[in-house]
Amino acid sequence: MTTRDMTKDSPPAGMDTKGPSMGRSLGRRLEVRMLVLALLIAVVLSFLSPFFLTRSNIFNMLDQSVVIGIVAVGMTFVILTGGIDLSVGSVAGLTGIILGLSLQHMSIPLAMLVAVAAGGGIGLLSGLLINLFGLAAFVVTLGIMAIGRSLAYIFSGQQSISTIPEAMQNIVYTNVFGIPSNVLFLLVLYALAWAYLTYTKGGRTIYAVGSNKEAARAAGLSTLFYSVLPYVLSGALAAVAATFSISQLLSADPLMGNAMELDAIAAVVIGGASLYGGRGSMIGTLIGVFIMVMIRNGLNLMGVSPFWQGSAIGTIIIVALLVERLVSSRVNR
Amino acid sequence: MNAPLPKEPKPPLLLARGITKAFDRTQALAGADFELNEREIHGLLGANGAGKSTLSKIIAGHQSFDDGEITYRGYPIKLRSTRDALRIGIAIVMQETSLVPDLTVMENIFLPELGRSGWLDYGSMRKRGLELLASLGQADALPLDWEVRRLSSAQKQIVEIAKALGVRAKLIIFDEPTASLSPTEVDRLFDIMTRLRLSGRGLVFVSHRLEEVFTITDRVTVLREGRTVMNAKPTTSLNQAELIRAMVGAEIGAIYAAPHVMTSDVKAPVALEVRNLAAGAAVRDVSFTAHRGEILGLGGLVGAGRSECVEAIFGLRPRTGGTVLLDGKALRPENPRAAIRAGMGFVAEDRRTQNIVPDLTVKENLLLAYLGAHSGLGLGYAKCEKKVEQLLGRLGLPAHRLMDASMLNFSGGMQQKIIIARWLLLDPKVLVLDEPTKGVDIGTRASIYSMLRDIATDGVAVVVVSSDFEELLGLSDRVIVMSDGRSVADLPSAVLDEEKLTLLAAPRTSMARNTALLQDLTRENGGAGFWALIEDERVICLNAVVSDRGADPGFKAGEARILAETRIPRALRRRECIFVTEADATRATLLVPIRSPRGHDMGWVGLSLPNDHKMPPPEAIKFRIDTLAASL
Repeated sequence: MTTRDMTKDSPPAGMDTKGPSMGRSLGRRLEVRMLVLALLIAVVLSFLSPFFLTRSNIFNMLDQSVVIGIVAVGMTFVILTGGIDLSVGSVAGLTGIILGLSLQHMSIPLAMLVAVAAGGGIGLLSGLLINLFGLAAFVVTLGIMAIGRSLAYIFSGQQSISTIPEAMQNIVYTNVFGIPSNVLFLLVLYALAWAYLTYTKGGRTIYAVGSNKEAARAAGLSTLFYSVLPYVLSGALAAVAATFSISQLLSADPLMGNAMELDAIAAVVIGGASLYGGRGSMIGTLIGVFIMVMIRNGLNLMGVSPFWQGSAIGTIIIVALLVERLVSSRVNR
Repeated sequence: MNAPLPKEPKPPLLLARGITKAFDRTQALAGADFELNEREIHGLLGANGAGKSTLSKIIAGHQSFDDGEITYRGYPIKLRSTRDALRIGIAIVMQETSLVPDLTVMENIFLPELGRSGWLDYGSMRKRGLELLASLGQADALPLDWEVRRLSSAQKQIVEIAKALGVRAKLIIFDEPTASLSPTEVDRLFDIMTRLRLSGRGLVFVSHRLEEVFTITDRVTVLREGRTVMNAKPTTSLNQAELIRAMVGAEIGAIYAAPHVMTSDVKAPVALEVRNLAAGAAVRDVSFTAHRGEILGLGGLVGAGRSECVEAIFGLRPRTGGTVLLDGKALRPENPRAAIRAGMGFVAEDRRTQNIVPDLTVKENLLLAYLGAHSGLGLGYAKCEKKVEQLLGRLGLPAHRLMDASMLNFSGGMQQKIIIARWLLLDPKVLVLDEPTKGVDIGTRASIYSMLRDIATDGVAVVVVSSDFEELLGLSDRVIVMSDGRSVADLPSAVLDEEKLTLLAAPRTSMARNTALLQDLTRENGGAGFWALIEDERVICLNAVVSDRGADPGFKAGEARILAETRIPRALRRRECIFVTEADATRATLLVPIRSPRGHDMGWVGLSLPNDHKMPPPEAIKFRIDTLAASL
């Protein structure tokens, strides 16, 4: 799978072995451990359900990873700075409605642009409130979450919008080199995000801000800009996720993205990020997303009642983190 | 742990033998011995990483030990928690206090009681709290109702000590208690420690400040690399060189780099100029200039506003007034990036919270300021490769350790050197360092001093804030003294010593009565009154009130002058309690020595009058000055 290629991916020769092979000795190990966990889950599930490892199910799972995976990218950026964004689910819902309404008046690309800009704008608002006025990220984004959902209902008139042009489906159902375009988009997005966080000034600043904001400021880094940027990205990516979701369903529902923030946060945390900031990686998050999707998919295949699935997923997340904590304290002592 | 206490406690109070403790792969203690008697202050010394903190924490139950044995009052003990330790009377006063900032002084003192079940009796707590503070001689100094966050670090320490007494501690460990105290506060702490010794307690004094060890301790134990290399020697049998040898395992020369070449006559260009800087309540009016190639010390007591001042200069703290010029150009307030771009580097006081980014590697920490100054999308690390290599040589850091995942595995000294080097990559014109040797052991200090001297020699204006007066004088060419948020003196360090610095740095409140006296004298008699230190051919003015220009003695507060350069050289040489007329017959001056009740020489108070003036009786003036001195 692509995940393994990415972990092995060594920095381009010449450019950097000296550069940011940063925090890796530990970070790497953590990602490797999570990869092992992901494979373990895959093996167990393939024994439990013969259908699990079929080609069609793998593509099915990749397809299911797209929406949550896109949101988790923004969430990783936010969590790396030591923040949290609880509003992604309702921003996805609101921007989905905005997209649905815009499509009634303008072309597809323009409507998408409006939706993504709206998402980014909401993120900018949260980011500025948090960083200019020193408000708690948890509280600000909780407020935005409530406002976003409420506006989604109001704008949509409490019903889903089903006047989406069929052409939207091309976004999802075009194959490039045999890979569905939405999956390809996801992988490219992760590669770009990873490269940004590893090899650019902005990326390293985001880590530094999350790890010790005061020191970053005293060293002359642009802490305000790079503290706000993740929220803008998170909001914009929530809109992108909404776009993909709507393209598949050809319907925009005000309830879309409900509880999505929890899945995204879970994926980022399973991927090894610290909620205190400064620690985490795109590779880890991608593995976290796959773990979440695999578990849900496996439970579906085994015919576990949807009402029990919440308990199962919650238990598995907690047990996984507990085991990881025990293992890492063993490894690092 | 609950061993019944013997009726007649036998010395030693505590005996530790062959203590070992390993963290991970590092052996923090490899067979440490320690003994402590009652009625004793025992110095526990060692360079950073020698294991003195680990040993203290083991004795206080904060950490377990791997091997060895500890007996307390004759019984073997193995503590599992601080609670165990407190129950049998062992307490520790830590460097970073363990107080709860939102609770009051009283609640903090009795914090251990909050862990017990049942109701709290605030009435009896208050009574006992007052008793405890009184037994420390601090009854009036510390209101029980204040929240701890309002207290100075010295006051917090007193709360910690009271807290230890609150659980009837018999053995109290002081872990580097003087690190953030001014000299007068250190004196007060030593008073308290002496009281505790008299009351029969055994005290452990962990420190690496040798002067203090000689002042306060009865015996000394030195640790090196986790072993006891000098076991319980009486302090009086030792000298400084022996102690240093034991601590570092080798002779080290004078720890301050090359004696100053007095370059102050040939003035280099001004690199940094601060005019009437104000920043909130802490910084009211600070002015000074720093020249290229000099080390400028910024001294003062805790609370004088030194850190706040340099933070405002660099832009980490909002300014409320004044200007800062770097190379003649005004710096924008509250913008560290602008200050860095203009050529300023800043090493903040608290390494862990203000300088180190723990999740980045050593290399990225070193390159952090470079990253901030670098423009463009990428990192640009390749461009400074060569400079990094040179710097590593200068730091004595092997290149492969750059890749270490965390700075926190390094000693305090090496961390500090890396942080300083962070700025050298940018070729700063001005480098400001706040407490550059805080938490750095004596061996490494010397190398930081010589590093700073080298940086200055390269033409950088180095500004050093330090509460260690010895360091301030040893390191800087010139010293700016701050008191209550104002710059009150600007003197070459060659004319100063620690005692004079202490007098200069005295809070304005204690200066107020002196000023009032000088004002009274000049109001009644006219002329000029001053308070000054006189030594050989030099006068250092601490305070001056001039009401009559004709009597101006020729120096202002905070200035040092050669006697011949003043307008009253004859009187300053005679130093008598009569009016001495100068050679030019323009004015007459009387001088009265002033001594504190404890017998401290506090210099001279003088009154200068124009010669045509009616001279008041000298005895009357002497009487008033003596009255003030008696109440100091």
